[in-house]
Amino acid sequence: MFDLFSDIFTYRDNALARIDPRAKLAIALAALVAVVTAERIVLPLCVFGLCLGTVVGLRIPAKLIAVRLAAPLSIVAVLVVLQTFLTGATPIFAFTLAGWEFTAKAEGLRQGMLLGARVLGAVSVVFLLSVVTPAHRIFQALRWFRLSRNWLEIAVLMYRYIFVLMESAADLAAAQKLRLGYTTKGRALRSFTALAGATIVHSLEQAERTHNAMRLRGYRGVMPFGPLPALGRRDRMILAFCLAGIASARLLEWGAGR
Amino acid sequence: MIMHRRKKSARIRRVAAVIATAGILTALPAPAFAMHISEGILPAPWALFWYAVALPFVAWGLRDLRRRSEELLWFKPFVSLVGAAVFLISCMPIPVPTAGTCSHPAGTGLAAILIGPGLTVVVASIALTLQALFLAHGGLTTLGANIVSMGVAGAYVGYGAYLVARHLGLPWAVAAFLAGLLSDWATYAMTSLELAAALHGDGSFSAMLSLILLAFVPTQLPLGILEGFICAGALKFVRSRKPELIRATAAGGAA
Amino acid sequence: MKAISATGVHFTYDDGTEALSGIDFHVEEGEFIAILGSNGSGKTTLINLLVGLIKARAGRIMIGGQAIGELSAEELYQRVGLVFQNPNDQLFAATVEEDCAFGPRNLNLPEAEVQQRVTESLSAVAALPLRGRAIHHLSFGEQKRVSLAGVMAMRPSVLILDEPTAGLDPAGEAQMMQLLKKLNREEGLTVILATHSVDMLPLFANRIYVLDQGRVLQEGPSEEIFCHQEMIDRAKLRLPYISRLMYEMKRHDGVPIDGLPLTIGEAREQLLELIPKELIIAGMGEKRP
Repeated sequence: MFDLFSDIFTYRDNALARIDPRAKLAIALAALVAVVTAERIVLPLCVFGLCLGTVVGLRIPAKLIAVRLAAPLSIVAVLVVLQTFLTGATPIFAFTLAGWEFTAKAEGLRQGMLLGARVLGAVSVVFLLSVVTPAHRIFQALRWFRLSRNWLEIAVLMYRYIFVLMESAADLAAAQKLRLGYTTKGRALRSFTALAGATIVHSLEQAERTHNAMRLRGYRGVMPFGPLPALGRRDRMILAFCLAGIASARLLEWGAGR
Repeated sequence: MIMHRRKKSARIRRVAAVIATAGILTALPAPAFAMHISEGILPAPWALFWYAVALPFVAWGLRDLRRRSEELLWFKPFVSLVGAAVFLISCMPIPVPTAGTCSHPAGTGLAAILIGPGLTVVVASIALTLQALFLAHGGLTTLGANIVSMGVAGAYVGYGAYLVARHLGLPWAVAAFLAGLLSDWATYAMTSLELAAALHGDGSFSAMLSLILLAFVPTQLPLGILEGFICAGALKFVRSRKPELIRATAAGGAA
Repeated sequence: MKAISATGVHFTYDDGTEALSGIDFHVEEGEFIAILGSNGSGKTTLINLLVGLIKARAGRIMIGGQAIGELSAEELYQRVGLVFQNPNDQLFAATVEEDCAFGPRNLNLPEAEVQQRVTESLSAVAALPLRGRAIHHLSFGEQKRVSLAGVMAMRPSVLILDEPTAGLDPAGEAQMMQLLKKLNREEGLTVILATHSVDMLPLFANRIYVLDQGRVLQEGPSEEIFCHQEMIDRAKLRLPYISRLMYEMKRHDGVPIDGLPLTIGEAREQLLELIPKELIIAGMGEKRP
């Protein structure tokens, strides 16, 4: 039920996992910018190929890759269809379905494919980032980007307790299922509602206990984050190299488009 | 000739395309994933624009958070835990009869009743970031747009609906139902608007908007109603188990 | 000197339930004390009072010779540490290291000192290899030990634990108790634990407080506590299983047992004396010290 939200792979050791999360995050953001500003499909598709290849090379299970890419892929399909039939001027072909006439247009198709390529490229960048960087390392990196401390504090606590609440909710859902809580639509809705309500109640009780525990260890309203170490030489070089690579790829595309 | 034909049958073709796309959307394995705008869909100017719209709301929520957590030491753990619970609820699959597959509630209406709309925007921005990073729902480039539709539209409409309904003397269960229902629909309306604005290209904005809105109808109409029931039911559950906690919540006075 | 003392303490919850009615509870420095009681006996309420999470309606609580109300939060929590029953309650950071560093960082210690405390407290609970792990990937036993380390990093002189062995497997239970014994005997920490599991206590606790319905039924070393079968029944507790066996043999079978053995070791010694030498086959068993 909740196994989707798994971060077990991010704790595997590999060359990418060892790179400083700040460098990885900066590179990923640069790649995202390059992909969403791309005017042709080549760059986004190259990024997609590169990231997907790396993910496969890291031996992330195919099932997880499929689950993560399923939604974006279906969105790509819809985008291509939408754009092809609704925008553009130059007809490529037309067909009639149940009395309705559809005309595919070249500009629309091109735009749809570009959008689709951007989606694939962008999704794969974030996917790669997420399988080589554990959440807490990303939170650390975000501190470097000067995000609001309060925002980060809530994010850290939320992330931690999602897993705690997930356990109790999974138990509850299993208990409901075992007692036939989901056999009819009405029962399913009632069971689901109780599950949601119980999760809220658990969270409120947990909040009280967690706050007590925090107080007992000197909490005074601000979660203390440790200092961030300076970015290492190797990481700085990787960062510079990747940023330069992304920038030149983007410029190359821009030049080719003129 | 081509132009002439286009003009004549434009209306018909539009309707046809709407029906066809609605069919495609509902036949997808995960219609609810369309709830968040996927990574990379929005062109850079639109992505920036929605970031700019979202930012003041998040900043306002954070200001509220800072002010209240200075007075109440338990406030941040409380907001975090409610956030975690709502995140989890929004990941739970519920069967949508018309779609034939499972979809997910948004939970924003419920969150807004519990912690208020300002903080719901903050929590939604975190939930959306986590989903973008670790679940490939939504995205980092589309985060601004998704905060506006899920957080801002969903939270303020839901909270507003709840307060207005209570003001009109409606029972809290009805008010909670309306909060869930309207926050869900507001999120979809806003998402559709964002998508249409970015995607209509050289075509008509209103045609694209009505198309996307209509395409969402088969799943969203029932999902919104389910969301209403879930919001009311969950609140009822919390009220019966922890009445003292309801008083501590944002809409406590009205609840 | 007294590490902790509570005199005539009363506590009533908002809903009117009287949880504690006149508790006297005194712990000397370096003692290992068990608070024994059934569910709802008031153990957790007493603990929460001792660490200042709630305030007594009447009575006095002294920590290291000072009234609890006079101590600042910072002073109090460096003297008394509480380990919660459910590790999830107190492991709120993302990783083991961050969680252990939470307390020291709240004390505004320099980072080097923070890191040193993290290392020390993790090695004290045999959890140093877990340092970089995510909390949600730890086993329950590991979570229990890490939550203890997080409290140890505050360097309290009194360690209070709520059901430290609840939910642990037998090996984990033994490990936890040995750990606490080591902290008590070697590091000189005062240990107070609330529990309803009696089997291990005679091996570890100097004194036991038996709580029932918000009152202290009896207080004393385990030999004194467990010879009052009737009192133990009244508190909805039981004897350690080995003592129960010896008690039954003595009472129903007329086996001449001296006093009431509380541990396997004592019971073994007594039984060996009663068994005729010729029945014991030499060289069959492995010798044990």
